[in-house]
Amino acid sequence: MKYIIIVLLITHSSLVGLAQSKPDDGRKYDKTTPYALVAGGSKGIGYGIAVALAKRGYNLLLIARGMDTLLAVKKQLESAYPIQVDILAIDLSFEKSADEIAKWCTERNIHLKVLCNVAGFGGARDYLSSLPLDSLRYMVRLNIESCMALSLTLLPLLEKNAPSYILNVASMAGFAPIPVKNLYSATKSAIVFFSYSLRYQLKDKHISVSCLCPGPVFTKPEIVKDTKEKLGWFGLRMALYPDKVGEIAVEETLKKKMIIIPGNLAKISAAIIRILPRSWVVSLYGKAGDKSKDK
Amino acid sequence: MDWALIAGGSKGLGFSIAKALAKRKYNLILVARDANDLSIAKSKLESSMVQVEILSYDLVLPGSDLKIANWCLDKGLALKVLCNAAGYGGANDYLSLPLTDLRTMIRINLESAMGLSLLLLPMLQKSSPSFILNVGSIAGFAPFPEKNLYSATKSALILFSYSLRYQLKEKNISVSCLCPGPVFTKPSIEKETKDRLGWFGKQMAVAPDKVGEIAVRGMLGGKVIIVPGRLSAMVSFLLRVLPAGFLADIFYFSGRKHRKRTFTRHQQ
Repeated sequence: MKYIIIVLLITHSSLVGLAQSKPDDGRKYDKTTPYALVAGGSKGIGYGIAVALAKRGYNLLLIARGMDTLLAVKKQLESAYPIQVDILAIDLSFEKSADEIAKWCTERNIHLKVLCNVAGFGGARDYLSSLPLDSLRYMVRLNIESCMALSLTLLPLLEKNAPSYILNVASMAGFAPIPVKNLYSATKSAIVFFSYSLRYQLKDKHISVSCLCPGPVFTKPEIVKDTKEKLGWFGLRMALYPDKVGEIAVEETLKKKMIIIPGNLAKISAAIIRILPRSWVVSLYGKAGDKSKDK
Repeated sequence: MDWALIAGGSKGLGFSIAKALAKRKYNLILVARDANDLSIAKSKLESSMVQVEILSYDLVLPGSDLKIANWCLDKGLALKVLCNAAGYGGANDYLSLPLTDLRTMIRINLESAMGLSLLLLPMLQKSSPSFILNVGSIAGFAPFPEKNLYSATKSALILFSYSLRYQLKEKNISVSCLCPGPVFTKPSIEKETKDRLGWFGKQMAVAPDKVGEIAVRGMLGGKVIIVPGRLSAMVSFLLRVLPAGFLADIFYFSGRKHRKRTFTRHQQ
């Protein structure tokens, strides 16, 4: 019996050794520094979150579509903070992406502590406002499917490194229907629901799930314009910059908060949106949207 | 004569909706995966003296919605009603279903409704005033940990319906969303409801044909959210008023009881 155990141990350790030596990229993946994966971490809120995690000493694995932006971000973060940044140029809307990413992480057995699903698609064009069906499908695949799939394939690793964290990025648009952002709002509501449920499902496994629901965030110049037209003075007061949002998101995720809404004005607005009957909120949003269309 | 297209119309709620529409003398186009189920449904419905066309397409596959829309265009039918009743869900959900099934769930519950509505819109607009009925669920009002992704997709469908209704108001297309509580379309659902919600669940449940009838009446009456059954309507009101975190707590607790029971059943 003892003999069998020893043999098993030897084969097992050699297997583990094999698995660890497989990725030949000259990097060390030490077991003490925690890793954070940021899907959609090269720009916008994702970049803000990456910076906030880097400040706290997390090694980063950033995933995005464009290699150039990823390389620039890697260089920037590695020179500013004493951390290691890995990058993967992958389109998260593809079906095989979740498995590929999970494989990369398990092969290197990285000490994954934080998963941030930030990648999202949305904008001024949405359902019935000249966005083609393929782009609408892409929105569903990126906003819901990729988040759901990555959380599932990385769950074993997060469980192994528990206590760990999942941060999904939704939006205040997920609290109530916004006609001009029809499908975006719908997909974000799915993410809010998914986060609530997942939090309960993973409670016993010591994985805390949070959901970031920001109001307007000025990640691009066109968002500044869009916010000004739709919400006027109020929108500008409510809006925040991505670095601030990232900082708040990371701080509260690590404190295990469920719904994270950065900014006091946004918090109040969110509370009102969630209390008012949906049919009221729809027509309020709808009228604001029509006004900006007229302009 | 007016036509109604029902995606997922061969069985369950979709079939009940088809029956209620046939009673009102709508000609029917039924879309479902299984050709056999479709021909059975067709023979049952033709007794109400309406025309029934059947289309066997898997709504998960990309391009199905385009093929369906092209078929309707070629026939030049006066499409008055689009009903998105195809759905996927059950006792198994996130963390107890493989990834491919979870993707299927998102694609059937949300993508197919979104795609069909978009592609059939020109036809609906031509024969306006017309109607779109999406089948959501009471699970779409608050997060339901045991039915995680199902609940999330249904919530998305509810928001989609609200927004679409606003967008199509001026085009004289009325959009409704049916959000039923438990409906015993399969024996497995009856068992699950009893386990999870007990006596209360049984009281809340409404027979499929009755749900179909209420849905069609509500849709033609231009209602946004249709919740069949007085008890379900009360529950759904509470679900929408109470904080989501608190509700997830309650659902989680009721699920725990259910999990324990299924566990002991497995042991036996």
